[in-house]
Amino acid sequence: MNQPVSSRKPFPAELLAALMAKFGDRVSTGAAILEQHGKDESAHPHAPPDAVVFPETTAEVALIVKLCGKHGIPVIAFGAGSSLEGHVLAIYGGVSIDLTRMNKVLAVHAEDQDVTVEAGVTRKQLNQHLRDTGLFFPIDPGADATLGGMAATRASGTNAVRYGTMSENVMGLTVVLADGRIIHTGGRSRKSAAGYDLTRLFVGSEGTLGLITEVTLRLHTLPEAVSAAVCAFPSVDAAVRAVIQTIQLGVPIARCELLDATTIGAVNLYSGLELREAPMLFCEFHGTTASVAEQAETVQTIARELGGMDFEWATKQEDRTRLWQARHDAYLACRRLRPNNRAFSTDVCVPISRLAECIAETYDDIAMASMPVALFGHVGDGNFHLVILLDPDHPEEADLADALNRRVVMRALEMGGTCTGEHGIGIGKIEFMNEEHGDAVSVMAAIKKSLDPGNLLNPGKIIPA
Amino acid sequence: MQDIIDQLAHAIREAASHKTCLRIRGGGTKDFYGGPLRGESLSTTAYRGVIDYEPTELVVIARAGTPLPELEAVLREKGQMLAFEPPHFGSSATLGGAIAAGLSGPRRAYAGAVRDFMLGVRMVDGKGSDLRFGGRVMKNVAGYDISRLMAGSLGTLGVILEASLKTLPLPAAEFTLRREQTQAEAIALMNEWAGKPLPLSATCHTGGFLYVRLSGAVAAVRAAREKLGGEEVTDGTTFWRELRDQRLDFFTLPEPLWRLSIKSTAAALDLPGEQIIEWGGALRWVRTIADAQTIREAAARCGGHAALFRGGDKTTGVFHPLPPVMMRLHQRLKQAFDPAGILNPGRMYEGL
Ligand SMILES: Cc1cc2nc3c(=O)[nH]c(=O)nc-3n(C[C@H](O)[C@H](O)[C@H](O)COP(=O)(O)OP(=O)(O)OC[C@H]3O[C@@H](n4cnc5c(N)ncnc54)[C@H](O)[C@@H]3O)c2cc1C
Repeated sequence: MNQPVSSRKPFPAELLAALMAKFGDRVSTGAAILEQHGKDESAHPHAPPDAVVFPETTAEVALIVKLCGKHGIPVIAFGAGSSLEGHVLAIYGGVSIDLTRMNKVLAVHAEDQDVTVEAGVTRKQLNQHLRDTGLFFPIDPGADATLGGMAATRASGTNAVRYGTMSENVMGLTVVLADGRIIHTGGRSRKSAAGYDLTRLFVGSEGTLGLITEVTLRLHTLPEAVSAAVCAFPSVDAAVRAVIQTIQLGVPIARCELLDATTIGAVNLYSGLELREAPMLFCEFHGTTASVAEQAETVQTIARELGGMDFEWATKQEDRTRLWQARHDAYLACRRLRPNNRAFSTDVCVPISRLAECIAETYDDIAMASMPVALFGHVGDGNFHLVILLDPDHPEEADLADALNRRVVMRALEMGGTCTGEHGIGIGKIEFMNEEHGDAVSVMAAIKKSLDPGNLLNPGKIIPA
Repeated sequence: MQDIIDQLAHAIREAASHKTCLRIRGGGTKDFYGGPLRGESLSTTAYRGVIDYEPTELVVIARAGTPLPELEAVLREKGQMLAFEPPHFGSSATLGGAIAAGLSGPRRAYAGAVRDFMLGVRMVDGKGSDLRFGGRVMKNVAGYDISRLMAGSLGTLGVILEASLKTLPLPAAEFTLRREQTQAEAIALMNEWAGKPLPLSATCHTGGFLYVRLSGAVAAVRAAREKLGGEEVTDGTTFWRELRDQRLDFFTLPEPLWRLSIKSTAAALDLPGEQIIEWGGALRWVRTIADAQTIREAAARCGGHAALFRGGDKTTGVFHPLPPVMMRLHQRLKQAFDPAGILNPGRMYEGL
């Protein structure tokens, strides 16, 4: 794990006093709070900020940014802290802006099928709020992340194969820029607003170009019928081939997830399921009753031809919820496989036509690894993860994991893929930016520089030094 | 083909060093669109052809100068399409132009916009650097999403060389029906239907009729057709193509043509002149002599914006004016790509 070289400025007492004067007990320098805001769900070494502020309005966020700007102190947006590449670590110190108190659903427009929320609203909170409207918001990263954080990381989840990622589902944003000015991008008209599509620029910028305080999202109609199924396969290869054939036939499958035998073992233990410990696909179909039946039939036929067995249906809402919660908890479940571990997750995405080959070669790597490695992912998108479990008492394992990650990434790049399909760059994948993008990184750096000349917005992330 | 890229890059470097403007041009079918054309023409048409097409993967990579009809024919042969249904406005329309203009056709409200299908671009920026963003995978979060920023940037950030796009299978069945309906009724119906699991792929109100296209599995289209009633439009394909390419009679009227992008539920607009409603209500074409301010205010009241699409007086700007803070942000972005400000200056906004 690459240790970032960080240089911290001493935190100006004057700035702290100004923040205290304005925010009172909504500023914290308590050790526990700092610690909590200096880590995410990754194995990167913690880097706490100097202070944490809990704003409640866009104007307050702008004020914090201006105050910090005056002193040349970095600001780091903080949502649920569920990111996996060290995105929120305060590697240069500074102020963590915790947006979780901005947790209001501002306006649901059921007829227009959109909603505007404050950045701190979580995806589960939103769907809870929408429960009587016949609408839902499909994007579901494993963690109950904030919608601001999800926009900032261009997150996706198990539904992306059908409903897209944050990139396709964010219609507009309210953003506080580096100089504290507030802008509104996009809007409620479905076409992007006049001018450049700035929404697309801020979505996925990981807090390095601006702080998102409000998000307008596209909602989707709850399907008339939903049906989920699990199916075991004789090999990961057979399962992957089933997915590829499904996608290539144009079946509008809503979810299509692969869990390998190691992951299934972990999930059984963690979520109390009794699935056969074999590579499995978790699928879900959305549509009219007739189309769901048709899709399910097609996929079942494909699966059978590839040796699929134990096809089990979950048509009741509670069974489906249990199944998908278990899938979402796969990362946490895998972490239980080894006591006191540090977990390291890879995140490559490859063209679907290379997926079977990519996963097969990855298994050769896994076979040589001395530590437990589980594989699962959103295979319908060509995206999969390895969860590598490290024993902190054996530091050499970290090097082995690094080497494994590098091999997986290089293979993905060679196959026309990316080093990260959904987790993002943070600090963890910075080393691959040049390899993946070449000269294009300099344009990203130029954009960063022109929008944040003082390099105060989440410095040290995305753009290589 | 590399020699063509070298020539383009060379022309850009030359122009940058002399601070002379270039106007990037594909087939020229959208010369009418946007602000004034300035500078020497830099043509992309020589850089054409499909580079890689993997139908099983639903991805096509093509050069910017590829004529849209040619690209679409290649896809059709494999039973696929560009689901954003880009307008051609002429047979010489190119892929690069379609992306730069960021315009999508009738299917847009139901399938997505150009940008939603962009997986990657290769481009030459205003410094003459040959750059690649994104790629050919369905999900990529490695850094800023530049390929999608290019959609609709009107050539002000760089010359698009290649694009990699997600394709979709052609629907198994397609059916167009129409019902006699007032504007208000049509808006209400379009919105009501959008919230239902119907296989809609286009809606349009014109000449007192609401036209609806259904696309999808045979059974789903048949069921929806029974549910929605109306009469069959036998040559539906032609109707939607003429709408897409603005060849319906409405588009030959003499008044300036405005394009209003607003929230879909907005009531029928109270503006003089004739209107066409598309995209489930979210797009309104208005042929009107009303002044720009009246039209822009009407659009803003409906949560959207208006662009002067064809004809009229362009001296007050074509697109919805940006607030100063947004304009500054645009200029900064432009600066990052085209520091000499030579690429299509003024095509989107004066000063950009
Ligand atoms: C068990 C588990 C499973 C996961 N599964 C998936 C998955 O399937 N798909 C997927 O895409 N991700 C997945 N993730 C990753 C994670 O959930 C996402 O990265 C999430 O989108 C981050 O949201 P957050 O609220 O936790 O943001 P944080 O982690 O708090 O912040 C993430 C980044 O965004 C910035 N940021 C946060 N809020 C804002 C804001 N309002 N404005 C500007 N910048 C902001 C931060 O500065 C930081 O750079 C998973 C994580 C875990 C732990």
